[in-house]
Amino acid sequence: MDHPLAPRIAAYVAARMPGTQGLTVADVEKIPGGASRETYRFRLTWREGGRDHERRLILRRDPPASLIDTERRIEFAAYRAFEGSAVPVPRMLWLEEDAGPLGAPFFIAEELAGFQTSPQVLFSGPYDAVLPRLAERKWTILGEIARADPIALGLTEVMDAPALDACWRRELDHWEGVIDREEAEPQPIARAAIRWLRAHPPPPAQRLSVVHGDYRTGNFLYDAAGEVQGVLDWEMAHLGDPLEDLAWSFNPIWRMGRGLAGGLVPQDEAVAVWARASGLAVDPAALHWWMLFNCVKGQGIWVGSARAFIDGGNTEPILIYAAWWLLNAQDRAILELMGKL
Amino acid sequence: MTPTVPSVLAELAELALRNASPDVPAAERANALTLSSMILGLAAEVADGEADCLVAENRALAELLADAADETSFRLSALRAENARLRAGLIAAHAAAETAGDDARQDAIWAELRASTERRKLSVAPV
Repeated sequence: MDHPLAPRIAAYVAARMPGTQGLTVADVEKIPGGASRETYRFRLTWREGGRDHERRLILRRDPPASLIDTERRIEFAAYRAFEGSAVPVPRMLWLEEDAGPLGAPFFIAEELAGFQTSPQVLFSGPYDAVLPRLAERKWTILGEIARADPIALGLTEVMDAPALDACWRRELDHWEGVIDREEAEPQPIARAAIRWLRAHPPPPAQRLSVVHGDYRTGNFLYDAAGEVQGVLDWEMAHLGDPLEDLAWSFNPIWRMGRGLAGGLVPQDEAVAVWARASGLAVDPAALHWWMLFNCVKGQGIWVGSARAFIDGGNTEPILIYAAWWLLNAQDRAILELMGKL
Repeated sequence: MTPTVPSVLAELAELALRNASPDVPAAERANALTLSSMILGLAAEVADGEADCLVAENRALAELLADAADETSFRLSALRAENARLRAGLIAAHAAAETAGDDARQDAIWAELRASTERRKLSVAPV
């Protein structure tokens, strides 16, 4: 049976592919786990120039209420900026900011098929031999993101460009504001961390970089050889201090219970790879500040997921999991980083 | 714990009902059932431990703040409301201790915060 979205997607795409005949959308399937966007894969077929064509595509649609309130225009621009670069990304096709065609804004991209994203699969055994290779690629690509010039990429046209000494305050103000607005109960550990962060600001950013915003194991496609085939989930992309991204990748909750950065390698090895690829230095004190900040950011996301569920704006089960599973784990990560655990 | 267990169970019941429809694609149904199953396991753990956790935490916070814990009701909603009141008081007390440079007071508050994360820890916690 056809998915109810199939005819609506077909109508939208057909209007953007004049000169084609018999365009169909089939095999629409929701991909689990998306809490900030609903993600579907589907198969597009059409006839053009006397030949049959087929493409596998991805639809990313805004949910009624998201963990992360960002403009899909910025996410779309971030993907587009890195097309054809050393940072592998899927090719973006169409951005639609009007809710009319599919009930909410969305974009459509090419699917990078045949690869995995799941950390559970990655750490289930068969990939053990390639984990060091994957770690090398993971932090090399993050270094390439840090090295990229946001002006040359055209991203300063769609993203704010804070002063180098204002990057930390901009991010901390934003995520403290999220916690202020959305917490369902007082958060004494996150509040203590915020006071510490404000009392001990980091040095100015070495340069203004593209910050992916959610670069972690689980948000890239990998293959059996340990190669990263696509960096996904750019919905929190912005311009800022490149150490912010590195520190998010070291958030203790992303160790996957393995005691290693991203579940992959010791943190100092990942730092060395990133420094080599980015050409940037890693001041341990500044990295620590950004790691603690990212725990506060994590709490902002998890209290936001609880709020979205409580208010009924989004009742996807993944939000319950985030709220129940990660809020306390993130508190314990804060205690660890502040030397209180 | 937020969202509350009853609200989560109500949502999972609706989700199960939606997935009973033959119109739901098989892959979507499988994903929903897998996640629901994991959350039901967590819900059982939360439901069993939440009252005990809240009573212990409210008593510890009241002692730390030299406050009187309100135990006129042991309904979860009442325990949660009291917990929120006491945790808000703890935030203020912590900030005041930092401003005053009162290391002993800060140590006592950190000890309680550490204990609170132990009480709230789920068996599948990653940290």
